[in-house]
Amino acid sequence: MAASNSSKLFRVGRSILGGLSNNALGASRPSSQLADVDFLSQQTRTFIQMRTNLKVVDNSGAKRVMCIQALKGKKGARLGDVIVASVKEAHVGGKVKKGDVHYAVVVRAAMQRGRCDGSEVKFDDNAVVLINKQGEPIGTRVFGPVPHELRKKKHLKILSLAQQIA
Amino acid sequence: MRLEKCWFCSSTVYPGHGIQFVRNDAKIFRFCRSKCHKNFKMKRNPRKVKWTKAYRRLHGKDMTKDSTFEFERKRNRPERYDRNVTEDTLKAIKKIDKVRVDREARHHKERMKGKKGQLRREAAVELAKSINLVKAPGALLQEPSLTLPKIKVKVSQPQTEKNRMEE
Repeated sequence: MAASNSSKLFRVGRSILGGLSNNALGASRPSSQLADVDFLSQQTRTFIQMRTNLKVVDNSGAKRVMCIQALKGKKGARLGDVIVASVKEAHVGGKVKKGDVHYAVVVRAAMQRGRCDGSEVKFDDNAVVLINKQGEPIGTRVFGPVPHELRKKKHLKILSLAQQIA
Repeated sequence: MRLEKCWFCSSTVYPGHGIQFVRNDAKIFRFCRSKCHKNFKMKRNPRKVKWTKAYRRLHGKDMTKDSTFEFERKRNRPERYDRNVTEDTLKAIKKIDKVRVDREARHHKERMKGKKGQLRREAAVELAKSINLVKAPGALLQEPSLTLPKIKVKVSQPQTEKNRMEE
């Protein structure tokens, strides 16, 4: 009888634990984020090529740009590469206007990229930071995580402006 | 060089292995192999997938609380290099690993012991309680040897003995 009682107690304890854990997990992953991840994982991600739309993650004033030329690689640009982009959407009163053509660095790419140690890294979305001809960023802030590979590509200014380095 | 833990299965991710996914809020998900990455993309919860460490911990399959786990914790404070400390650490790693393996084996042994005794006791109680469904109580009173004594009772279970006495 004592044995059966103890087993019942154990079962109750486990169910409470399970409830707790579920709650904790739900809190840490908001549903909107999940939907975003799902949308991106539906298809295989590929190079950033001509007509790829990219998010601009600096305060230069551009919102969305379109890749019109990848400056390196036959297939297209990858994480850390420089592209030529045309501004498709821009905030009014920003440094850049709609229709401008600028250089840009790919700071986040959904396609995975090999790291120097052989592992791989990939991001949520495709994002760029606009730069001028000398390679200095046009904006003064960079939002979201950027990869540390930018150091190798000599975009130190972007790295120092970034909030997080992944 | 840091040995990270896989987000999905909690195994160690050695340098140069696996893939890491950086979410836009800069949370990094590291995966030891494509199996774990695919499961993540399928939005599976590691607590509900049976082969992961999370599931096994949650369901009491593995040891959860142990002092040997404290040594493997992630520390963000860098230690100043000291040759003697390093030497001692390298020696201690072997020892701690051995202790951990032994404790895990003991835990597994305890877990696999089963509940044979408990089942036996419960069965005996049930039989004693509901024997009247099999045999009429009157018939049992006349000849008590009809059914009950057929249970084999171990010496280490005084409870069954008592029940039989009551009957």
